[in-house]
Amino acid sequence: MWNRLPGVWICVAFAIASVLFALLATNAYYTSLVVWVLTNAVLASALRFVLQIGELNIATAAFFGIGAYTTAITAVLLGWPFWLTLLLAPLVAGALSALFGWVTLRTKGPYFLLVSFAVTEVVRLVYTQTNAIGGNSGLVGMFPPMAIEAYYPALAVALLAATLFALYGVERSDLGRLFKAIENNDAIPRSVGLNVVFLKVLCVVIAGSAVGLAGGLHAYANNVIAPSDFTFFVAILALAYVKIGGEGHALGPVLGAALLTLVGQWVAGISAWENIFYGAVIVVTLLVFPGGLVGLAARARGLVTRSAR
Amino acid sequence: MHMANWTRPLGAAAVMLLFAQAGAAQETLKLGISAPFSGAGATWGLGMEWAAEQAAERVNEEGGVTANGKTYMFDIVSYDNKYSATEGARSAQTMLNRDGIDFIVGTVGTAPLRAMQALTERKGVIVFNVAWGKSVKGPEFPYTFTQMNTPFEILVPFYTFIKEQHPDLETAVLISPNDATGQELEPMAIETWKNLGVEMLASDWYERGTTEFQPIATKIASLDPDLVDFSAAPPTDVGSILKELDVLGWEGVKVISAGSSVEALMAVAGEAAEGAYLGASADFSGESATEVQKELNAGAREALGEPLNGLTISPYDAIMALRAAIEEADSVDPTKVKDVLPSVRFESSYGPSGFGGEATYDYPQQMLLPVIVTRVENGETVELTRSNPAELEALIND
Amino acid sequence: MELFVQLLANTLQIGAVYVLFALGLTLIFGVMKIVNFAHGGFFTAAALIVTSVVPFATVELGAPLWAGYLLAAIVAIVVVLCLGALVYGIGFQHVLKDLNGSFILSIGLLLILNGAYLAIYGGAPRTVPQVLPGTVSIFGAALTAQRLALVIVAAVVTGGLYLLIERTRLGLALRAVAMDQEAAMLQGMPFKRVALYGFLIGAALAACAGVLMAPINAVTPVSGDEFLIKAFIIIIIGGLGSVPGAIIGGLFIALIESVGGYFFDPSTATLATFILVIAFLLVRPQGILGNVE
Repeated sequence: MWNRLPGVWICVAFAIASVLFALLATNAYYTSLVVWVLTNAVLASALRFVLQIGELNIATAAFFGIGAYTTAITAVLLGWPFWLTLLLAPLVAGALSALFGWVTLRTKGPYFLLVSFAVTEVVRLVYTQTNAIGGNSGLVGMFPPMAIEAYYPALAVALLAATLFALYGVERSDLGRLFKAIENNDAIPRSVGLNVVFLKVLCVVIAGSAVGLAGGLHAYANNVIAPSDFTFFVAILALAYVKIGGEGHALGPVLGAALLTLVGQWVAGISAWENIFYGAVIVVTLLVFPGGLVGLAARARGLVTRSAR
Repeated sequence: MHMANWTRPLGAAAVMLLFAQAGAAQETLKLGISAPFSGAGATWGLGMEWAAEQAAERVNEEGGVTANGKTYMFDIVSYDNKYSATEGARSAQTMLNRDGIDFIVGTVGTAPLRAMQALTERKGVIVFNVAWGKSVKGPEFPYTFTQMNTPFEILVPFYTFIKEQHPDLETAVLISPNDATGQELEPMAIETWKNLGVEMLASDWYERGTTEFQPIATKIASLDPDLVDFSAAPPTDVGSILKELDVLGWEGVKVISAGSSVEALMAVAGEAAEGAYLGASADFSGESATEVQKELNAGAREALGEPLNGLTISPYDAIMALRAAIEEADSVDPTKVKDVLPSVRFESSYGPSGFGGEATYDYPQQMLLPVIVTRVENGETVELTRSNPAELEALIND
Repeated sequence: MELFVQLLANTLQIGAVYVLFALGLTLIFGVMKIVNFAHGGFFTAAALIVTSVVPFATVELGAPLWAGYLLAAIVAIVVVLCLGALVYGIGFQHVLKDLNGSFILSIGLLLILNGAYLAIYGGAPRTVPQVLPGTVSIFGAALTAQRLALVIVAAVVTGGLYLLIERTRLGLALRAVAMDQEAAMLQGMPFKRVALYGFLIGAALAACAGVLMAPINAVTPVSGDEFLIKAFIIIIIGGLGSVPGAIIGGLFIALIESVGGYFFDPSTATLATFILVIAFLLVRPQGILGNVE
């Protein structure tokens, strides 16, 4: 259902509707919620993107932070133009992802998970130790230019939606099929002469650039960033979105992010119930619906077609 | 209570629905609190929320506040800022955009406040705060008002008093939490001690959330200073370091500028806290306390299990200032209210008060309150001195 | 000289808890091949239970402090064992050897546990009176009797665990499963039961650490999380699944914190440990004593 063209067109229609909503809605709370949902969707999709090669990359959180800090530093401390600061976010995050991937992807499984976790913590600690970028208090005052400010939520939504389509496009391309092949068994692609390490690094770089852009957009949307925004917990929540939505399809993380972010608003304000809520959703989904929402939809469709036969 | 926060909007919505049908006779004015309700600063949030609720109740019992022919009742809504910039910004977004709050009557921490200001100053929302930094004040932040003494009011009289008690003090070590408050306080503390002839042997930082304090205590003990100044460290952390210092046999003068809650300090440090000087505490049951303070303090002991201090009582004073300003401006428009606040006179829990501090901040946005020095004696807070700054003295005699 | 003895004493004090905590984590990884993020939840549960049972026993029941503390310790460990069995039964036994699945499950559990603690106990730090007051001086190094007791108990528990693993049938089963689960099952080992025992021993170790820390540090609903991150570093350095590695790694990290915190400052020491870990993972991913895959 999702894989055929009508599915894609429905998604495009949805994306356009979101952009229009962000453009036309007057309540700042709802527009910021749409931006937030899509930011989380990009984080979750990027995490799933690296899961394609079989690795759980906690450093997704670090590259989100690097994008946000790149934008914030160039905008607030250096006063560079808006578009340049936004453009730099994915570039810097992508470049550092390449370095990270090149160094760490010789490990895999639990070791890669833990090294990516440690890298995330190191990056966060470096922010807290660097007084020039605000230390523990972070940076304040990233505002889009006056001319753009009113349209900023729509701009952010458009760019984030485009990022999601781009990630999906890569997944459906030949490159995406190679990534899948690596997950299944990296000896086979290697045996036909492919540079497996290069492919793995490329996968991490694409995901890193995507979350870098999301980070840059987040900096302008939130006006404030601090090291505590970019703990490993960001990646863990993203993982929850992936699991709830379902790993089986690119739409899974988007649905998961939308559902959890919106429902999470309901319990927002009191950390205790927020935690219990997220925790319960993760545990129940994992144990009862291992395929997530997408898996559930596929199963329901399977039942329908079977009974129709 | 904090836990009930999420049910309250539902209840309030139901009540409002009833009123809407009966034709609204009075309106509710929501006042926000953004403070830590978890972690080392949790007692601050709980105490502030409680004091704010008492003030709101008092105002409502006295018939609410009237502006432009309408009567408003105060309602307190609290948010956990976790003492972080992120949560500060997030709580500001929720308060302003979702809950439509125009007046914030208490927020703790320089970093969370700075994050909030990005939104509140732009949107024109009044923020009363107990942030200690100087960078959050000035003419560019006309919506920001500080409801408690900060180091710029406290340190000189506080340190001078301690030096008078211990004339032979010569060396000191400063321990600061690595956050915006600690960073802004550090140079000021070093400078003030230097002017009093006390040499700073070392100035060290630690991360909030540290669990093991032996290394830092060992370092202090080996330097063996006459005095340790714990700067803006919260009471629980100070308690842990004091306990380790006690084990290592260090004996000297303990100075806690942000020392607010003796109970939290005693719970961790026990006898090791004996004799510590506190800059942000007060004995609201003692002789110099006002009737209002005695009553609030007794109520807090009953409801929260611990008395109020200079920090937790402050939303009460903010709400009293706000009431006076709304009535003076005859409007609940925060832009108009902020214009009258610098010149408004009101009855704080300490007595007559107003705003001042133009000499320090270039804008009169600092509530004028007496400076109180307290000390831990036999596990209790004992008030040693209470002095009015010159500006407050002039206002009272005016 | 005295300084170095003191720094060494600090290392042992800090390290004792780290070792207990990391041992449980590494044991669970070794046997079940899961990275258990909810491990800190067991620690926190035990510490919080101590903070509520001790006042109850001493005030309501009028028991002396030591008896109240012993009662609290027993209650805490029993409750944590039940919690462990529950968590294993409902969740972990379905995701054995599934790295990503079990990792996500443990995160879900951690969120639920942390939220529950916050809802029950509130966020404010809680304390228990010192059971063993007073200070002891050893070769010029000062430490509280309470801390000394902690170090001794931790050493005894660690020794006991070592004997259990090296000398008993259960230990043999645990080692066999950790080394090669399929071969062990072919030999007739009941894998799921062995995994359950391994999980419960790990939970009990975390509970022990929580019980021992409660009278020393203020307890909050997130106390365990700080130790969890440290414990991950420790088991990476020591080698995932290695028991002696956890002991060496725990003491090593404590040494860095103690010495680094003294000569530089605690913030720098923390950063140093993380960078060390990354270097370690890249040069020798299996850790000091880990087995090569």
